[in-house]
Amino acid sequence: MNRITFTLLGLFALPQALMAEGARAPDLPASNIAAPRGPPLSGAELDARTQHVGALLRCPVCQGLSVADSPATMARNMKAEVREKLAKGYDQEQILAHFERSYGEFVRLEPPVRGVNWLVWLGPLAALLAGGTLVAFALRRPPRDATPPALEERVIAASTPGLPSRDTLPGDPRLAAAVRRARSLAYGWPHGVPPKHPAAAP
Amino acid sequence: MPVTSTAGAAVARATRFNPRVLAAGAAFVVPLLILLALNLRRDPHAVRSPLIGRPAPAFSLAPVGGGAQVSLETLRGRPAVINFWATWCVPCLEEHAALRAAARHQRDVQFLGIVYEDEEARTQAFLQNRSSSYPSLMDPEGRTAIAYGVFGVPETFFIDAGGRIVEKYVGPLDARAIAALVARARDGAP
Repeated sequence: MNRITFTLLGLFALPQALMAEGARAPDLPASNIAAPRGPPLSGAELDARTQHVGALLRCPVCQGLSVADSPATMARNMKAEVREKLAKGYDQEQILAHFERSYGEFVRLEPPVRGVNWLVWLGPLAALLAGGTLVAFALRRPPRDATPPALEERVIAASTPGLPSRDTLPGDPRLAAAVRRARSLAYGWPHGVPPKHPAAAP
Repeated sequence: MPVTSTAGAAVARATRFNPRVLAAGAAFVVPLLILLALNLRRDPHAVRSPLIGRPAPAFSLAPVGGGAQVSLETLRGRPAVINFWATWCVPCLEEHAALRAAARHQRDVQFLGIVYEDEEARTQAFLQNRSSSYPSLMDPEGRTAIAYGVFGVPETFFIDAGGRIVEKYVGPLDARAIAALVARARDGAP
């Protein structure tokens, strides 16, 4: 168990160490984007790619909306720029890097896998593994002690002597009404009152 | 009722805290809570501009009301102040007087306005009413605003004589802030 605790602690120490180092984007070239790396697009393919790349860009003036989803003027302007660049043959990464140069990594809705962002991609997987390991350990361990009876047995033992009979009703009138209603629904007893002859009961 | 209380006590005894499980859980939850507490009041949009210390993005834009295009290259050799603004933006109107006065007094610094998402006619009317001591440029498709990573208006960039962005100021400027930042833009000259 101690080993697991240490693993979990380490899991959190790592990103904090990375964060201290600073999550600055790698140095991007100062000049404008270089030559297009892909084929120029047009028609339906251009529309589809514009939508796709726009969905990966954050609209800077919105709250958590992508450029593709936002009706803001700035988002429309950015989308137009994406479209223009795709038509010239720039690829997705070139276009995202172009906007990143102005707005920083913030503009990417999908954090690139580098620096502290590893946590975003691998954190859930690591947490799942850690949780799975914990559960596996807990299941493989033999029952703690044979002497104390199992929980269910104790609960039954504690409650059997006082188990209410079928016509017992709680003191609270509203609760009593609810119990009668439940009995009428469950057993078909009119108004929840049990039949007089036990032999006739279902 | 006696029945329920005995059963409840049995359950409570069976689920009492295991210190080791508690420690493992705390190891998970406490760092998350600390991270949350540290960042709860941070504005996610308040990111430091990656352009600071880099060459200012180039542009070539027509002034409000027409005329010869003004480009970044024509500003080379002296510090520049580029103010993104709009007539619909109240803080921009508040800082306008301070910028106008600073541009009048600091002749060696080129002040420029770039209009952000506004109509040319409205902007022209505003400039005629309030007068201005420096040109404002139209940015029809917002390309320059995007290239400068503008999140909203007003935002002002201070550029040194070498064309490098020295600082970006978000929000309305006053005379003192302008003086301090212009001094930095002057010092930044290579």
